[in-house]
Amino acid sequence: MDPLSISAASGMRSRMESLDMLANNLANATTVGYKSDREFYSLYASAEATAGSMEAPEGADTAPVIESHWTDQSQGILRTTGNSMDLAIDGSGFFTVKGPTSDLFTRNGNFRLSPSGTVVTADGYPVLSGNGATIQSRAEAPLEITPDGTVNQQGQSLGQIRLVNFSAPSAINKQGANYFYLADPNAKPAASSALVYQGRLEDSNAGGAEGAIRLVGIMRQFEMLQRAAKLGADMDRQSVEQVAKVTT
Amino acid sequence: MLRALYSAASGMNAQQLNVDNTANNLANANSTGYKMRRAQFQDLLYQSMVQPGASAGAQTVVPAGLQLGLGTRAAGNEIVFTQGDFAETDNPLDLTIQGKGFFQVLQPSGTIAYTRAGSFQLSSTGAVVDANGNPLQPQVNIPPTALSITIATDGTVSYSLPGQTAAQTAGQIQLANFQNPAGLNSIGQNYYLPTDASGEAVLGTPGGAEGVGTLLQGYTEQSNVSIVEEFINLISAQRAYEANSKVVKAADEMYQQVNNLTQ
Repeated sequence: MDPLSISAASGMRSRMESLDMLANNLANATTVGYKSDREFYSLYASAEATAGSMEAPEGADTAPVIESHWTDQSQGILRTTGNSMDLAIDGSGFFTVKGPTSDLFTRNGNFRLSPSGTVVTADGYPVLSGNGATIQSRAEAPLEITPDGTVNQQGQSLGQIRLVNFSAPSAINKQGANYFYLADPNAKPAASSALVYQGRLEDSNAGGAEGAIRLVGIMRQFEMLQRAAKLGADMDRQSVEQVAKVTT
Repeated sequence: MLRALYSAASGMNAQQLNVDNTANNLANANSTGYKMRRAQFQDLLYQSMVQPGASAGAQTVVPAGLQLGLGTRAAGNEIVFTQGDFAETDNPLDLTIQGKGFFQVLQPSGTIAYTRAGSFQLSSTGAVVDANGNPLQPQVNIPPTALSITIATDGTVSYSLPGQTAAQTAGQIQLANFQNPAGLNSIGQNYYLPTDASGEAVLGTPGGAEGVGTLLQGYTEQSNVSIVEEFINLISAQRAYEANSKVVKAADEMYQQVNNLTQ
């Protein structure tokens, strides 16, 4: 194939992956604590092109690809629910919960009490406090949670909810169901100074006008690339049909 | 490409469920003791296209990798047990629980159901029954000659008889409490049944140390559905549904253009 078609085809493929990502963001527009994913465009370069030689063949060695994404950790809107077991984080930080195999991190503060009185997530994973213990309550009285994460019941402290932060945003990856897992085993979670608000939930930061605009952008870029691919194919056809024509 | 279609379809399904849930809340806005339900969503699994740390050339590695999400799903719709408004009825057998507790009523099947709807009446035999005719537990009987019924905040039921000054005690109402009320199973008619998730019922006297709350005579508890909030929910669900349907359309158009390449 000619360089034009190759570049255009590669561009079309990456726009499709952009659309996949946007579709997931918009599908999660009402998921509590959801953070949008964004694509990173980078340039694929063939081995010849990266070898640094000046005689690398022209054109055909580079193509746009998406080979990584980043998660937009910007703050979602805090929505008042009035439910005392709903917690929202204001600032950058994550709740730490004890998952089945390892600790998981989440911004979804839709907690509840387990039958034995432990504070757990909607999936039943215990929420961890500052010293790594679970938070145990008694049935009688409601819980009061102060902005620094201290859980009080009838004036007695039951522990402080652990909020962590990561210096490198790529240290954690999504695993579904609103949880992040530690992708980089060398990264250590640091204490976060974010505030916790009781009776509120953090809305998803996806959706709205931005999604619609990005959707239009992806569609129009795709259309342009499709024209370009077609143009490349037309030029190929012309060169086969016209240039090589033997006139009598 | 099909990923985008299925992700958008999962979003549309989720919003549909959101609207269904809102519709049920609005339909029960005037049900005594009804507690609203709130739909909760989660993102689905992620497909790893490029592993984090994969080699991107001789010297460089991919720092974050590429993960594509596959849409959303409904994680559940939990019951929100916030206190509803009180409506004054002046009916001596209308009770409101100020606090977390539940009334216990005996169903015809012999199992005890738990309810927040405190509009009680008297049966033909003088027993205190709820609107469905199921007797309150522990059972309280009021004789037909009773003039007035008084229910104290601690659940003591007493009545006065004609020609007597001293009040007669008819019984003591006990309320039930659950460790995790959001885990209760709704069976309709404002009844809840305990599950493994809710824990066993803990019985207590109103106003006691068990934290079941106190009783208020002559009032009923309205539903805790906030009409304004439900309408806001409805609007945002509708718009999110629309956004997802636009993604379906975009994916379809892009697919069409790919097909047009081969002419």
